[in-house]
Amino acid sequence: MAVSIHAPRINNNDDQVKLIALDVAIGQKVDRGAVIGQVETDKAVVDIEAPAEGYVIGLQAEVDTMVEVGSILVWLGESADEVVPAAAAVETRAGQASGAPTAKARLLLKRHGLTADQVPAAGERLTAEDVEHYVAGKGGRTAQASGSPVATRIDRLPDVPGALRPLRPDERGMVNTVSWSRDFAVPGYIELEYDPQPWDAYAKDYADRHRLMLSPLLSLMAWRLVELARETPALNATHVGEQRYEYGEINLGFTVQAGETLYLTVLRNADTLDESGFVNAQGDIQRRAAGHRLVPAELQGATISFSSMARWKVSRHIPILPPHTALMVAHAVSADGRHVLGATYDHRVLNGFQVVNTLRKLSKPAVPDRKKENTQ
Amino acid sequence: MLFPIPGVERNEHGKPLIGLDDASLYAFGHLLRSTEQLILDLFSRGLLSGTTHTCIGQELCQMAVVRALDHEDDAVLSNHRNHGHYMTYSGDFLGLVAEVMGRKAGVCGGYGGSQHIAYRHFHSNGIQAGMTGIGAGLALARKRKDSPGIVTIMVGDGTLGEGLLYESMNLASIWNCRVLFVVENNGIAQTTYTSETLGGSIEARGQAFGLQTWRLNDADPEFSASVARVVAQVRESGRAGMLVIDTRRLGPHSKGDDLRADDEKAAIAARDPLAAIGRRLADSEREAIEARNTVFLARIEAEALASPEASFDAQRLHTFSPVSTTRIGSLQPAKASNVRLAINQALRTLLGGDERVLLIGEDLHEPYGGAFKVSAGLSGDFAGRVISTPISEAGITGASIGLALDGERPILEIMFADFLTLCMDQLYNHAVKFPGMFEDVKVPLLIRTPAGGRRGYGPTHSQNPENLFVSVPGLTVLFGSHRHNVGQLLVDAVQRWPNPTVFLEHKLLYGEAQDPADYELVAASPEDQGADLFPTLRRGADAPDVTLLSFGGMLPVVERAAKQLEEQEELAVEIVAPALLAPLPRGTLLDALLDRPRIVVVEESHHEFGVSAEILAMLAEAGFTGQVLRVGLAPVPIASARSLEREQIPDEQMIVASVLDLI
Ligand SMILES: Cc1ncc(C[n+]2csc(CCOP(=O)(O)OP(=O)(O)O)c2C)c(N)n1
Ligand SMILES: [Mg+2]
Repeated sequence: MAVSIHAPRINNNDDQVKLIALDVAIGQKVDRGAVIGQVETDKAVVDIEAPAEGYVIGLQAEVDTMVEVGSILVWLGESADEVVPAAAAVETRAGQASGAPTAKARLLLKRHGLTADQVPAAGERLTAEDVEHYVAGKGGRTAQASGSPVATRIDRLPDVPGALRPLRPDERGMVNTVSWSRDFAVPGYIELEYDPQPWDAYAKDYADRHRLMLSPLLSLMAWRLVELARETPALNATHVGEQRYEYGEINLGFTVQAGETLYLTVLRNADTLDESGFVNAQGDIQRRAAGHRLVPAELQGATISFSSMARWKVSRHIPILPPHTALMVAHAVSADGRHVLGATYDHRVLNGFQVVNTLRKLSKPAVPDRKKENTQ
Repeated sequence: MLFPIPGVERNEHGKPLIGLDDASLYAFGHLLRSTEQLILDLFSRGLLSGTTHTCIGQELCQMAVVRALDHEDDAVLSNHRNHGHYMTYSGDFLGLVAEVMGRKAGVCGGYGGSQHIAYRHFHSNGIQAGMTGIGAGLALARKRKDSPGIVTIMVGDGTLGEGLLYESMNLASIWNCRVLFVVENNGIAQTTYTSETLGGSIEARGQAFGLQTWRLNDADPEFSASVARVVAQVRESGRAGMLVIDTRRLGPHSKGDDLRADDEKAAIAARDPLAAIGRRLADSEREAIEARNTVFLARIEAEALASPEASFDAQRLHTFSPVSTTRIGSLQPAKASNVRLAINQALRTLLGGDERVLLIGEDLHEPYGGAFKVSAGLSGDFAGRVISTPISEAGITGASIGLALDGERPILEIMFADFLTLCMDQLYNHAVKFPGMFEDVKVPLLIRTPAGGRRGYGPTHSQNPENLFVSVPGLTVLFGSHRHNVGQLLVDAVQRWPNPTVFLEHKLLYGEAQDPADYELVAASPEDQGADLFPTLRRGADAPDVTLLSFGGMLPVVERAAKQLEEQEELAVEIVAPALLAPLPRGTLLDALLDRPRIVVVEESHHEFGVSAEILAMLAEAGFTGQVLRVGLAPVPIASARSLEREQIPDEQMIVASVLDLI
């Protein structure tokens, strides 16, 4: 059986000694009592002797380092090919459970009102950088793009027999949306009826002028929303770390039902377009959505959204806010012909007054001659 | 104010010169008795409060020794029954009466009352035998100055039950210095007859320590003359002695607490040695003496009553003497190969720079070199000033206080900080009381002591008792670390901080390299006493997620925890390390900590009611709004087995876990 040689205690007050010499090599045979090395404290140098005859099968300390008193320096075996006992080779180290967020990451999660399972970890543990990344706006998209939306964690399968089915990307997107809304947004909902006549006239006029076959009404209303967001930055914002984060671009989310799939299409940098550019781009995106031909960038990063259920003749629908947005306008036309503009809004960002104001403005097309921005 | 005492001359210090003739002895003895009767009378008239112990019946006993002291360095350490001693020493009758009454004209301005009187070399205190060690120190200081002054220590026979008395008798004996222990053997202690509480013989106790021992009776007509010869012999021999005086207490112990039988009281009255001397005088002479004493006392009473109630000119909120500017010798290096050497070098600097510096403690001499070899090499190089003592922690603390009071600079080593509890009375009731009561009195005493665990020394050799000592008003508690310049802390504490100080050294740090590393000084707030001299250090993030406040031997452990928190948990960690625990540098710490989000105070001591509690209470009072936590030792004894000890004393894992919990 292998024998270990330990660092000796030289005096009661030194828990570590310096290994100053180790004069044996692996495979070497040593006699009992042979000096195999030396340790030193501030007061003395002491020889280390082999307690038994044997072959050196393991060296566990480095010369010129401080070693703990009692720690193993050398293993001697009965033969040169004996192996060092396994338990001795294992170094036990109490570490953090892998995957747990670092404390700093936890602080940041708390500060931003996030939970650890919302933020994807780049490495083994969730780090501060991961959280900062996420909060800086990249996080939400990363989560969607990587196809790992947050859901309610169910640790146990239900008792009733069944089969697990993976989610389609749009379904995962929806889970992500409702989870964010559940955990963070403080949603409110407001609606008002409006007179459809001015919008219908405006849309008809636009369609005539641009020789359009389909009514551009919803696209025009969405454009109006983009204009309002440009006037009032709080509409195009979210809440981060006890502050309002006003986006520097307007990415318009617009719901498109394509068969079974509900898409929230995203038209990026909508504010850089003009009315007709927007209507064209919007038409293009809707067509591609219907053919399920959208690219990922067109499905993430909405900053403000518009949704219409006029097709289904519902009297009201209350949308769930897409992640990190403060406003989603909901348009409906009931079976008895009532026209309704509603909005779900994050009460942390907007108040009801701001929302009502926005809806009132949205209920009519812009008056062309009101375009006098250049006079201030 | 000293009024002329009829028929009595005074020496240049105002001490009455009392002849050995019957008339002189009777005149002064009668004055003592009349003064104490006046005090009792004032008491029954509601003009004084508190407690008082008169020496009625024991006047000759109390007079005789003090009367015979005729050298200006002679000292008197008295006790609760001190009026006779004091009046004989000072002749200050108004000072006594007004003091007992709590008036401004009192000798101590009303601070001391009946039991705590300080005047020149006269000190009394209400702790039985409490000043006996101090007496040994005062006598050693006289010897070192080649003064023939005698230190007389007055104790009652009941006080023969106090252990410190014997430590002091032993010290006086081995130091061969002029201490006269006077046992006023009145046969009773408060209400307990000493025959029931005293084993063996009184004189044998003195003899056992090698003291020259005498026994006299104050009813003996030659008593005062005999006492004078005893005093002369102590002076001449240069040695310590013990004088037992058989006497009887005629009055109550204090007031109205005399429970003795009438026939016993009658027998004591019949023995009354003062009355006996009076009877030896012609009636006319005695009556004339009594009449002039009555006139004198009427004046004292009127003056005392006219004196306003005692009041503070400005009430002191602390009792620390300011930092003195004298620095002897060069600065100690900030870095040292280990803390043990840094302290050793500082001791060498101190001994080399100032003859008044003395090292006192157990086993200090070569080749042992003191606890943990910190004093190695010093006993040879500074012969006579490195003093190995008997195992008498209270006694040597008292003696060091005595030396400090007399201008020496004692550095006392207590072998293990755990033993400081044996010194507690000396610190709590004595060392801090002198400067506490009298602004101009300094007790520049420093006690160094190795503290702390992680060495497997077990329950009574492993503790960090700073929690007990920081709460002693007027006591300075320093606990440096390897990040501080420990040598300079020690030099400054001895040379520039003339206040009683406990200097804790963690055993674990002795072998640690002294190196400030990345620590910087925290700016000391000007209102903090001593904060400049004994700085607080800090390292780490300016906007930390967590601040670890720690000191002494806990610091290396805290540093390892901080590293783990920084590296594995990405936290911004700050470490704040004060060296001065009391007086707590409040302004300095508040400036450094008030805006921090999380503060964890880590200490090795039993921390309930301790340093951490005080620091966090201070923060709370100042409106701190962050999170706080204490990490320390649970209120259980420290185990010996290293494995058990490891589980008890906070280590880096415990600190990390606590911080993570907090977050
Ligand atoms: C350490 C301490 N214990 C107890 C007391 C309370 N006390 C004051 S005087 C006294 C009796 C002292 O008797 P003795 O020493 O014989 O002196 P005497 O009063 O007889 O002069 C006691 C118990 C005290 N002051 N100090
Ligand atoms: Mg007595």
